[in-house]
Amino acid sequence: MTRGPLFHEQTARQRLAALVDPGSFDELLPPPERITSPYLAQLGIPVSFDDGVVIGKAKIGGRKVYIAAQVGQFVGGAVGEIHGAKLTGLFKAAARDKVPCIVVIESGGVRLHEGSAGEIAIAETMRAIFECRAKKVPTIAVIGSDIGAYGGMGILSTCCDFRVMSEHGRLGISGPIVIEKWMGKKAYDSSNRALVWKTSGGKTKYLLGDADALVHDDAGAIREAIAKLLGKSSAVTLKAMKTRQKELEKRLKRFGQTADPDAVWKGMGVRNIEAASLASGPEFAAMAKRGK
Amino acid sequence: MKKPSSRALFAKLFGPSAKGISVEKSVLTGYAAAGGTKVCVIGTCDGTYVDNAAALRLAAHVIDCVEKHPKTPIVMLVDSAGQEPNRVAEMLGLASYFGHLLSCLELARRKGHKLITVATGQAVGGAFICYGMFGDRIYALDSASVGLMPVEAMSAVTKIPVPVLRKLSRTMPSLEFGAKPFALLGGVEEVWSAKEDVQAKLAKAIAAASTEDNRAELGKKRGGRKLALDIRKKVLAAAAR
Repeated sequence: MTRGPLFHEQTARQRLAALVDPGSFDELLPPPERITSPYLAQLGIPVSFDDGVVIGKAKIGGRKVYIAAQVGQFVGGAVGEIHGAKLTGLFKAAARDKVPCIVVIESGGVRLHEGSAGEIAIAETMRAIFECRAKKVPTIAVIGSDIGAYGGMGILSTCCDFRVMSEHGRLGISGPIVIEKWMGKKAYDSSNRALVWKTSGGKTKYLLGDADALVHDDAGAIREAIAKLLGKSSAVTLKAMKTRQKELEKRLKRFGQTADPDAVWKGMGVRNIEAASLASGPEFAAMAKRGK
Repeated sequence: MKKPSSRALFAKLFGPSAKGISVEKSVLTGYAAAGGTKVCVIGTCDGTYVDNAAALRLAAHVIDCVEKHPKTPIVMLVDSAGQEPNRVAEMLGLASYFGHLLSCLELARRKGHKLITVATGQAVGGAFICYGMFGDRIYALDSASVGLMPVEAMSAVTKIPVPVLRKLSRTMPSLEFGAKPFALLGGVEEVWSAKEDVQAKLAKAIAAASTEDNRAELGKKRGGRKLALDIRKKVLAAAAR
């Protein structure tokens, strides 16, 4: 099968161009407006005219959407005051205008160079996401980059209605290097890529039900998955919360004493670990469903 | 500043009704009273790490409150050093456990429960984001350590020397660690001194709470976070065009 460029290798602007209807992207607060971080400037660190996140209006399959993409090449896609305010503003606009909102995440979380301002911005964006959800305005996080969704951005992604992941994407809070530092190389060897991906990668997240779609590392596939979710929302109701509580309790009970990710895969119905490891995202999803 | 014991602190906030709070593995759940009205209490103490099980216990208590005690205000106490830095916790989806806790709190908010946070000890990183910062109004005791991380830790990660960060933090409170600079950013509504009548302050805070997130406005007014509100407004205006 011939496919386009790999999503995880694309830049934020390339990703947006490939995800939305051709020519439909209209960037808000574009680089010519020169909105840059005063913190980085004071620290003598290069600034960026978009502060590491591209936001705008667009269409997907003819439907109006608001969409953001974080720029991993710029301080690891980390959230500073301006970056975070752009995200908050976009989700608030989505709630106001009842337009679905998508965030393409590539971030380690809060931008340390800006201290607590980024932390508060993430908390504010979470509130704005739930404003959307209260109005049944779909919110979707796309996680398919090298950096993944970690720290506050990992938590933020779990506040959205849905998460679309590629097998390349990773979702978590503490990254492997941080955990290795805390617990030692024996507990978590951050250079063991297979272990890192089986801990936080798209396949494991999809198996456990934390990712709603597991797709190819390809903008077209991600776009398809988004299009399917645009008309849906996940309601925050007492019934839904009680169901989720039971699911998460069950998960902890079954796997809480397990250090081995393969045991989680087996427990979730994967029979042939080696074949599943080599399978593409969609193949893996199909295998898991059939219990192979 | 001497750190009060957890029990002494609960008594200070809730008086004799604090006995309704049970503590298990540094996770607190229960019902108490503030200003003569019943409140639900969830939280952490002893600077513990929040793991999957802790998040579930807090979420279960929020669900219990929503089900059995309609509209009862929920007071969230925060004394936690962060999320459990553990590979198994991550493998099992700690972020999703936090997302679930946040969703339960959102459900409570929509059902008319007021959400008041009091940072009592450490309120840093993921542990503050996973419930405390989701309150309608957030307060902090002046003995609390609030913020992203101390300057020394920031320096260790960013490789920017401590003196440089300290000097900048004089004009940029975001870089400073503590309840007071956090309040300048709008992240905390008010800092309470242990010498004050915090029971009365808590009752007043519950009465005054509103679900409107006012942190960006506060941050601008107080001068600690000058850009966030204006950028947000710019985005809202540009999207409407």
